[in-house]
Amino acid sequence: MSLSILALGSPFGTQAAYSAYRFTKAALESGQQIHRVFFYQDAVHTGSDLATPPRDEFNLYQAWQELKIRFDLDLVVCIAAAARRGLINETEAKRHDKSNSNLSEHFELSGLGQLVEACVLSDKLITFG
Amino acid sequence: MSILIVQQSAPYGSSNAKEALDIALAAGTFDQEVAILFTGDACYQLLADQNPKQIDQKNISQMLKALPIYGIENILVDKESLEIRAIKELDKDLNLKQVSKREIKSLYQNAKSVLRF
Repeated sequence: MSLSILALGSPFGTQAAYSAYRFTKAALESGQQIHRVFFYQDAVHTGSDLATPPRDEFNLYQAWQELKIRFDLDLVVCIAAAARRGLINETEAKRHDKSNSNLSEHFELSGLGQLVEACVLSDKLITFG
Repeated sequence: MSILIVQQSAPYGSSNAKEALDIALAAGTFDQEVAILFTGDACYQLLADQNPKQIDQKNISQMLKALPIYGIENILVDKESLEIRAIKELDKDLNLKQVSKREIKSLYQNAKSVLRF
């Protein structure tokens, strides 16, 4: 069975993004296939390369990146939701004439079509909002 | 039906209404069979003559009128939510179908994916 994950809640302000991480990690470690993790609404901040939590706190940003490397996960951040919230990669920075970008290299910026495709191609879509 | 989008939020207090609508339009673009259900405070999205220009927002009910252009004809509203809020008149151009709790249950059962905002 293949699963897709939709994360909606902000990484620090809500537990949603953490629960999404725990679920995804548990699913992968038990041999489930995760088709895609899609970050929408305030969850797009999970892709920030600038977030620096205090050293004695759990680093959710880094945890997602490590999970991606370990399992070759498809981590997609919604491009429209991210741009509205000030999260862009180098390509978008050039396109919008901005001097900086802040999306981690482990996340891909793409459109809502990727979420629609995940709904169609996965057996289940699980939302953390 | 492949995707059911459930709108639960009022039109302007959060980004939910707009960001849920964006998913519906994207799903329509990719030729998916989509239904959109308005329940709870989302019923306020369906009122005619909204004037959100005063708060520099785009008119949600005007944007909802684009749904049929994207192939989405299944636009439903929870009858009970309307009654609770004493909403008697909705935007007539929206072509809404009022549904009961029982019909909503079967909508959820028949959808492959449900997205709630």
